[in-house]
Amino acid sequence: MVMRFIKYIKCIALSMCIIPLLFSCTDLEIEETDSILKESADGSGFPGLSDPESSLGDLYNKVGGDFQTQENMFALSEVTTDSYVVPTRGTDWGDNGVWRQLHTHTWSASHLFIKNSWNGLNQNIFRATEIIESNGSAQTEAEAKFLRAFNMFFVMDLFGSVPFRGVDEGPEIDPMVFTRSEAFNFIETDLIEAMPDLPDGSPGVANTGTATKASASFLLAKIYLNAHIYKGNESPDNADLQRVVDMVNSIEAKGFAIQEGYFDIFEPTDDSETIWHLSAEVGPRIWNTLHYNQNSPDNTGGGWNGFSTLAEFYDMFEGDPNSNYVGDGQEERRGWVPDPSNANDENLGIGYGFLINQQYDSDGTALETRQGQPLVFPKEIPSLVGNTEVEGARLIKYHPFDPTDTGDTESPLINSFRRHQVLFRYADAHLMRAEAMMRMGNDATEMVNVLRRLRTDTPDLSGVTEQDLLDERGRELYIEFWRRNDLVRFGQYTEPWSLKEVTGDDTKMLFPIPATALLSNPNLTQNPGY
Amino acid sequence: MFVSIFLFYGMVNAQQTVTGTVNDETGPLPGATVAIKGTSTGTTTDFDGNYTLNNVPEDAILVFSFIGYESQEIGLNGRSTIDVNLAADASELEEVVLIGYGQTTVKDATGSVSSVTSEDFNRGVISSPEQLIQGKSAGVQISQGSGEPGSGVAIRIRGTSSVRSNNNPLFVVDGVPLPSGGTASEGTNIGVGSSAARNPLSFLNPNDIESISILKDASATAIYGSRGANGVVIITTKSGRSGGSEGVFEFSTEVSFSSPAEEYDLLNRDQFLEAVDAFGGIALDEGSNTNWQDLVTRNTVSYNSNLAYARNYGSGNLRATFNYGNQEGIVEKSSQERITGRINVNQRLFEDKLRLTLQSTLSRVNDEAPPLSGSAGSTGDVLGAAYSANPTWPSDPDFNPGDRINPLNLLQNWQSLTETDRFLINFSADYDIVANLNAKVTFGYDLAESTREASLSANSFNVARGAGGNGRGALNDVTNENRLFELTLNYEKEFDNSRLEALAGFSYQDFNTRGRNVEGWGYGNTGLDQMASDLASSVRTLESMISGSYQQYGYSFDVADNDNGLFVNRLFPSVETDFLGETDIPVRALFTDTFDNTDELQSFFTRLNYTIADKYLFTATLRADGSSRFGSDNQYGFFPSAAFAWKINEEDFSGDLFSTLKLRLSYGITGNQDGLGYGRFVRRERYSGSGVNDGGSINIPGITTVDFANPGLKWEETSQYTVGLDYGFFNDRLNGSIDFYRKETTDLLLNIEAAQPSPQPFFFENLDAIVLNQGVEFDINYAILESDDLNWDAGFNIAYNKNEIQDFEGSIAAGTIRGAGLTNAFAQRLEEGQPLYSFYLREFVGFDENGNPVHEGGTDNQKFVGKSALPDITAGLSTSLRYNNWDASLYFNGQFGNYIYNNTANAYFTAGAIGSGNNVIQDVVSLAGVESRFAEASVSTRFLEKGDFVRLQTASIGYTVPLGDSSFLKSLRFTAIGQNLFVITDYSGLDPEVSVVPGASDLLNGLPIAGIDYSSFPRPRTYSLGLNITF
Repeated sequence: MVMRFIKYIKCIALSMCIIPLLFSCTDLEIEETDSILKESADGSGFPGLSDPESSLGDLYNKVGGDFQTQENMFALSEVTTDSYVVPTRGTDWGDNGVWRQLHTHTWSASHLFIKNSWNGLNQNIFRATEIIESNGSAQTEAEAKFLRAFNMFFVMDLFGSVPFRGVDEGPEIDPMVFTRSEAFNFIETDLIEAMPDLPDGSPGVANTGTATKASASFLLAKIYLNAHIYKGNESPDNADLQRVVDMVNSIEAKGFAIQEGYFDIFEPTDDSETIWHLSAEVGPRIWNTLHYNQNSPDNTGGGWNGFSTLAEFYDMFEGDPNSNYVGDGQEERRGWVPDPSNANDENLGIGYGFLINQQYDSDGTALETRQGQPLVFPKEIPSLVGNTEVEGARLIKYHPFDPTDTGDTESPLINSFRRHQVLFRYADAHLMRAEAMMRMGNDATEMVNVLRRLRTDTPDLSGVTEQDLLDERGRELYIEFWRRNDLVRFGQYTEPWSLKEVTGDDTKMLFPIPATALLSNPNLTQNPGY
Repeated sequence: MFVSIFLFYGMVNAQQTVTGTVNDETGPLPGATVAIKGTSTGTTTDFDGNYTLNNVPEDAILVFSFIGYESQEIGLNGRSTIDVNLAADASELEEVVLIGYGQTTVKDATGSVSSVTSEDFNRGVISSPEQLIQGKSAGVQISQGSGEPGSGVAIRIRGTSSVRSNNNPLFVVDGVPLPSGGTASEGTNIGVGSSAARNPLSFLNPNDIESISILKDASATAIYGSRGANGVVIITTKSGRSGGSEGVFEFSTEVSFSSPAEEYDLLNRDQFLEAVDAFGGIALDEGSNTNWQDLVTRNTVSYNSNLAYARNYGSGNLRATFNYGNQEGIVEKSSQERITGRINVNQRLFEDKLRLTLQSTLSRVNDEAPPLSGSAGSTGDVLGAAYSANPTWPSDPDFNPGDRINPLNLLQNWQSLTETDRFLINFSADYDIVANLNAKVTFGYDLAESTREASLSANSFNVARGAGGNGRGALNDVTNENRLFELTLNYEKEFDNSRLEALAGFSYQDFNTRGRNVEGWGYGNTGLDQMASDLASSVRTLESMISGSYQQYGYSFDVADNDNGLFVNRLFPSVETDFLGETDIPVRALFTDTFDNTDELQSFFTRLNYTIADKYLFTATLRADGSSRFGSDNQYGFFPSAAFAWKINEEDFSGDLFSTLKLRLSYGITGNQDGLGYGRFVRRERYSGSGVNDGGSINIPGITTVDFANPGLKWEETSQYTVGLDYGFFNDRLNGSIDFYRKETTDLLLNIEAAQPSPQPFFFENLDAIVLNQGVEFDINYAILESDDLNWDAGFNIAYNKNEIQDFEGSIAAGTIRGAGLTNAFAQRLEEGQPLYSFYLREFVGFDENGNPVHEGGTDNQKFVGKSALPDITAGLSTSLRYNNWDASLYFNGQFGNYIYNNTANAYFTAGAIGSGNNVIQDVVSLAGVESRFAEASVSTRFLEKGDFVRLQTASIGYTVPLGDSSFLKSLRFTAIGQNLFVITDYSGLDPEVSVVPGASDLLNGLPIAGIDYSSFPRPRTYSLGLNITF
């Protein structure tokens, strides 16, 4: 008996010695359980993505997210201009000064949105490079090249120099840096190389959600139109301007055209103007400007009462300067504010374009502020801080939308968080071509008037100056991400406007390289003035 | 030569056999050592306390000893039977302390180790073990950031050494090192924001704990190598040793009454209307007079009961316990229910050569969380809404205030329930291979399964994420499973004038985390239980449609513009997205993401203790840890330490003044890999995270690179020097210690911004920077009165710590501030030359003539203000008095030199808040005419306050009923305990011991937050009555 126990103990003792040997063989390698481990055969280099098509889909999502938010890219492109300001209202929208600093051009290299935009755009570039360097289909590679060019365009435009990292370069490598003109060439090459393998592109929601020849041509037109800025030249080169014309012509040849019904273009329905749209929610574009008490059935909490436009921007439009109800003689693009006679369940009492003066709900009842005062938006904003809830005309291009499109004003099915943000639009291409022609010495008046005739209540211009063209672009393309780019090209980005002191400081034409980026990559040099 | 002298010596002395029994107050004492003085000859007592010692010289002196007991020396004087009663050692310094993989006594410890045993534990409502030792040891700062039952606890031993999230020490329960993370999900933000995970130690019944050892310096913690940098807390559960041979039942029960310790002095209806008027505004008067704060808080009654059985049957012992407790929080819809069972068995076999130990516990913790968040946005959470709600609103959950949260509406339409089951078992076999060599093998298994169901119904008003009107819910399942295997060998050898102990060990532990996060949107029902069951049934339906493995799936009426139905994202066997069509489920959109990963840790360690003349003690340890979190370049880290202690009082020259005087010197390197996460060193691909958008759509994620190859990633290291002195006077009636330390943490693992372009915005890097902690700790204990019927003693500890970050080239914003108009605001910054959690603010000067705030250097000039959220000084004072059958104790704790950012005041209590029609506290009223109702309220020093406080944490009084010998009961005791009775502080918020804890994904730049108070769960004042019976 005792012997048996001793034997048993010996067994335990033996297994005690063996078990650790078994365990100690563990090589501490992780296993593929919820992710794919990617190592190239020789342990170096880039092994290629497992599924470039799937990664491309993810990149579209990522770009959509980056251009959906009211912060970052949207704020840098619009809140730094005369089209948008986010005044601090009581305590609301103080937000640590991020909005004030953008509007007054007093940002620093640690501004959150500048940093986030840099990180977001460059991350998209790297992801696109990964897709390009993997063995996906020719079209996948071409779409990735387009997306890389699109993101790099903004890095070049906002920051000047552009860092670049090869796919096989790990975090131990400091990315190389393209100068602005090198980046220009890189973008141009990407787009030209992508062109043959991209689908043609034609109008319609189903055809404009991904990169096409038309969208690549549009982006080429953009870079050619701004080429002298990127190349550091005083004035545009006629060859580049001719390329703008050619590119727009090629887009036109695919069936894109300016069309009637200005605000319909921003609904998720077919139109002939949309060249590229993102599957990104338009909720922020609707609610960031509306007052708390302006709401829809799918957003009972109402707007966020932030973004407003400047009186001088509003005043660029045709019509009664102090009223924007239907019949005030305003041009179509200035939109309208519903009044008791035309507020209904479909428009929810929420207007289009510029919202000023008394606002109404869907019953036509005059809305009140949170203090029970009439909800009246005056167009003047006296100061950046110390405002009440109401100052400033509101600016809205997307509108809560009824996807059933039955015109049922009794019980519409409103969706204000739909995913359809228009990024490239033919009216822009049309005006780019007009501008290129003008800069080449032609008269752009008729080209501008062609567009104006489609937008109602816009009398023909008798002649078009540079200023007229800039203003026309402002009236047509407000809050579509282009105002900053346009002001820079027309040399007016450093001009004074309301709530921004005169600076005339040309270093503001570029944003600073974010402080964190400078630290992490010694190859970068800070832009002058920062 | 030596041998022959020994033989000769033996021959000239008459020898005999001596037998006897060694007892303690409860009966036979097995395992006691009986030795012949001056020789290495000896034996140990058997299960029944009996011993037999052969060949004992007639004039020998026998030494009877046992750890934790006073040794006795008894001359043989010709006797052959000697029975001895050993008395437990009264002197605290003889106390046993558990160190890693072994134990020692305080007297022989070379490192800074403090031990708190059950009789010294804090009392009252204790929801997790670390609260038992709060304030008991110098340099150990334990703060519960909120009064929520089951909320997480921050423990800092000798300062804050890591810049990442987790600075808590390693917890070792009965030899099983626990994983560092939580066991329950943080939960998905379904409209109110995120909050941090629950306290992972809630599964332990505080009543089961025998002692807690805190290892502070590197020589003590280095045996835990890569997990020792933040200190180690060793928890030992009670055994049945004191149970006696017949067995003892112990029953205790406690009832507690809690109420909010402090409330904000909010305006009532009339005051509010007057105040709005005073500020020149026009109030929106809805006609009622509602005290919203009272409606969301409550007075509660909690219960806790324990039944334990302990038996010591000689060759072993067992203890079994059952515990049920239900703690109600003082905010509506908050509670924690705990059911635990434990069985501990010790068995000795083969003449005590084999000792088997089984320790196991099974627990169920049910948490109910209110709609509170560490990251609530502009509308706030239920507390923020209650502080700011207009008091003229009717107290009606169906009243819709337009754009703000009606607190009652939110409470009524919210439910968050978490069930966590945890099973922890530890089996060990300890075998004496030969006299001086012992081997121990340990198997540990720890399984925690948690399910959290949260629902926010369509009837909620004005919450985020499209919850209102649609309903939103989440289901978060997490399973944590870890396995431990350990083998240690112990060798002991006595030499002439010295003694050697050697330990060598191997340990393997793996940590698996798996689960899923499900998000649902668009419910057909508004009943909260029904919503949870609708989501669960939707998940079942959809998962039954999917065959094969997958990472994600989602269902929407509007998938990728217009594809309706179910999609599945698969990784294995190949990357594929499948569309499986439509089905009928009770939610309109649903998205699920899964995770499953395993980390491994493999370690080799050794420790040598060498003692010369019982005066000079040397300890050296080395641990090599290999981790699957690092690539082949730096997979193993080496963590050495050395310590020397000198018992000066044993020297002839030291005289009689000191009963204890021991100098300790130590140095060591420990590591840290917490917060790094799985697989950060290798290029990996995974589907992106996604969710159901506000409008119910889902962007179908694609696969993307989630990490770079980063083979150079390595361990974070902390090197620590300690010089300490233990002292005792008057036979240690007055005793204590003083320690000076310097801790340098280098190769800081931080998720820093990647040099773009990069696949992700952040990646982990070993920063070339130092976090320095240096300080001094002082303990003093005094038995002021010592007599048979009257005892009074007092203990005081105080610690000073200075923290600084050095050689860091960057500057990282941290400390997110929340609230309306405070989006993107932050209050802290990480920069060299500053302590961690340094405040970076506008300097508030006053108000201008328009009533707008004026800040030094312009509206948006933020800078360091020379103040940090870290305290310079932490202190604890406890005293207890016993008079006959009565006893009483008091325990104070305090913290000094830290600052708190009062985010609550910033967000809710300004003129601008009342200008927006929100309620405020009385203090704001006095600003009428000074601050404009349209004034902005940027983050500034205006809201930075001193956090110094002294708290009477616990006061207790107890009465032990004298029982006759014939009584059925063995003991009967009543107690009354008050917790958090008062706080002395200048801080204007509810409680100075606060830190808002948002979910990990809501941390700015991934940096943790300290010293920011944003509508934290108020701390209760609690009175408890308790009864304790043994029979």
